[in-house]
Amino acid sequence: MMTDAQLALHGLAIKKHGRAAEVAEITALDAATVERLLDAAVQSGRAVKTGDKYMLTPTAQIALKASYSRDFAAQRADDAMSAAYDDFERINEQLKSLITRWQTIEVGGRSLPNDHSDKAHDDRIIDRLGDLHERAEPILARLAAGLGRLSVYHTLLTAALEKAEDGDIAWVSDAKCASYHTVWFELHEDLIRILGRTRIE
Amino acid sequence: MAGWTIRLDGGDAANKPLPDKALIGGKGLSIARMAALGLTVPPAFVITTRACGAYQACGDFPDGLSAEIAEGIAWLEQTTGRRYGAGPSPLLVSVRSGAAISMPGMMDTVLNMGITSETEAALGAECGDPAFARDTHRRFHELYAAIVLKADAGDLSPDGDPADWAAQVERAAGIPIPGDPVDRLHAAVRAVFDSWNARRAKRYRKHHDIPDDLGTAVTIQAMVFGNLGKTSGTGVLFSRNPISGERTPFGEYLACAQGEDVVSGRFTPQPLDAMRARAPGAYTALLEASDTLETAGGDVQDIEFTVQDGTLFLLQSRAAKRAPAAAVRFAVDMVDEGLIDRQTALSRVSADQIRSLLAPRLSEETASAAIVAARGEAACPGIGIGTVVTDTDEAERRAAAGEDIILARATTSPEDLHGMIVARAVVTEQGGATSHAAVVSRALGVPCVVGCGYGAVTALAAETMTVDGSAGAIYQGALPVEDPDEATLSDLRVLTEWADALSPLRVVAPEALDEDGQGDLLDLNRIDGGEDPGRLPALLNGARVATGGALSTDAGIKAALHAGLKVVVGRPRLPLLLAAFNAGKPPEDRETVAVSASA
Repeated sequence: MMTDAQLALHGLAIKKHGRAAEVAEITALDAATVERLLDAAVQSGRAVKTGDKYMLTPTAQIALKASYSRDFAAQRADDAMSAAYDDFERINEQLKSLITRWQTIEVGGRSLPNDHSDKAHDDRIIDRLGDLHERAEPILARLAAGLGRLSVYHTLLTAALEKAEDGDIAWVSDAKCASYHTVWFELHEDLIRILGRTRIE
Repeated sequence: MAGWTIRLDGGDAANKPLPDKALIGGKGLSIARMAALGLTVPPAFVITTRACGAYQACGDFPDGLSAEIAEGIAWLEQTTGRRYGAGPSPLLVSVRSGAAISMPGMMDTVLNMGITSETEAALGAECGDPAFARDTHRRFHELYAAIVLKADAGDLSPDGDPADWAAQVERAAGIPIPGDPVDRLHAAVRAVFDSWNARRAKRYRKHHDIPDDLGTAVTIQAMVFGNLGKTSGTGVLFSRNPISGERTPFGEYLACAQGEDVVSGRFTPQPLDAMRARAPGAYTALLEASDTLETAGGDVQDIEFTVQDGTLFLLQSRAAKRAPAAAVRFAVDMVDEGLIDRQTALSRVSADQIRSLLAPRLSEETASAAIVAARGEAACPGIGIGTVVTDTDEAERRAAAGEDIILARATTSPEDLHGMIVARAVVTEQGGATSHAAVVSRALGVPCVVGCGYGAVTALAAETMTVDGSAGAIYQGALPVEDPDEATLSDLRVLTEWADALSPLRVVAPEALDEDGQGDLLDLNRIDGGEDPGRLPALLNGARVATGGALSTDAGIKAALHAGLKVVVGRPRLPLLLAAFNAGKPPEDRETVAVSASA
């Protein structure tokens, strides 16, 4: 089990370079608490703050990773969680190819950036993303059964999907907002850290 | 007949009105339109939205629907000379949903309905390719499981047999796939009706004020086969070249192959000449259909077709996706040909397409004279010049200090995001088009080349390089970059002239601004928050002439128009004019002229 202070640092490690409110969003801590905890981390030399964004220091990163085997011992010993993660990896492959189809279109055998001038194409990909989301939901529930705070990702993914369905297409894969792809990648990163897995590229 | 179904026969279509879209849905209407143009489409019938309404009301098929489905199938059998669920020439059908308004969450298409162990054998004998028939049977299990049963059965092994697949599906779904093809058909129709109440569909209707009682139609269409011998085949045709925009049809053909083969990459497609040689009648019919569909649709078409025993069947025709250069050429040419007006032409070209045409590039001479340091897969277009850095934190630090940096990594992960955001280009050694580096670079709009090979890019550390993300090449040194000029490209000049006349906003180049204008000019680059479209109404505050900041984006132009801005100063001018012209217009309903069962 992590303390809130550790969890705030863990959330910052996933965000890498983020605001307190952003870290709060993925850790399900409240924003004021995260700000207090991260400011304390800055005081003790574990994080640095530029503008309103925080970043872990290299030593704090190493210390954080070193403590994962203890922090997440229960999850790492949980066969159901491991199995859920393996299923997540399978859907992750589908998500990557779907996002690629979102970003690039085939025109006459050539691959071009999707300029989003074809709404029917975009709608279709968003519909496929919704299908994928529904396939992912039971897996997300199994992961959250192993670690309750992970349920926050389901909420964020659903919110991003619904914004995309309602026509705000930045919420599919924009790297600068909590888009479906951004949140999914952060969840992936969180899971890799929790379970001590390595990323397959 | 209780009238739950409508046949899309197109027989004397010219003499009778098209069925109501509210009754047969958008996809059904597309098939009816194609048939009404006198084109050959695989025969289909539609279960109407009225039947869906009755199903929702009583929770079951209304009286007479099962009988009408049976009659519809019998009609398809008679029209095609094939039999549903039996040899020697089995009829396979597709089942798809289709409401009058498309929405997320509705059931996707199920293909190959009607295949059983018996019909698999018959189909294998008929096309002389038992492996194809077996694979069709496998794909049927996968689709039926995923779409009708909503079960995640995973991939079914191509080496397995139908009993294994059925067992794997039953384990995942908790219920078996019905053995009788008629029961399967009924289950698929129910699944379409039920998908009307899928969570995503309901939420979408609520959000968009779409009434809950419209209902969805179900289209059941015969599938055609492009692999029944050497006068059969399948392909894609663009009515004009979608890359260059030239007014010549452009396509690919696979002789003796089924639709999936084109997608699977199992075969290399041939140019259309191969079709002319093997199925000359179908080839002529295809070129005629291309003209008919383009004229009817008022836009360049992307047409999917299958030739079965020498007969051309049109499966789908829709407005073609196009490269930016083609978008411009189509717009100008089609006005010249009298097919569309200038307003329509302008609405079909986006500001971003023009920006990408005018993006800095390497001239051919420069690129061919340059020394290639590494090559990989082009992942995100654009030119990036800078010093190669292999450590992400170092890249961020040096970029913050004002240096131009190229981030070179073996692969990237979310831990590298902060370095990717500030880099002029990202290059990697491993991974392809779906790798993290490729996906994130595209989301950021950072030029990117991936998969250059082990050690190929990290070895370039500290050197100055030019990355061409469109060519997938990394060149030594800082190469001279060329900025195309909108005034020297004739199609762009024509569009600019039209846009000047039709845009609600005047756009002037900085050097053309007279002294009066200079006095009034509000420079958003010099104002805090000037890059945020949301703040424009407050910042513009009645200004008449402005430049910079958020005005470089479509959202900014839209906000400025609402705020009453009259003149924007900037260049290139055409993207700004187009952004203003297209601001607030709903996207053109480029609804497909026809969608049908792609086999």
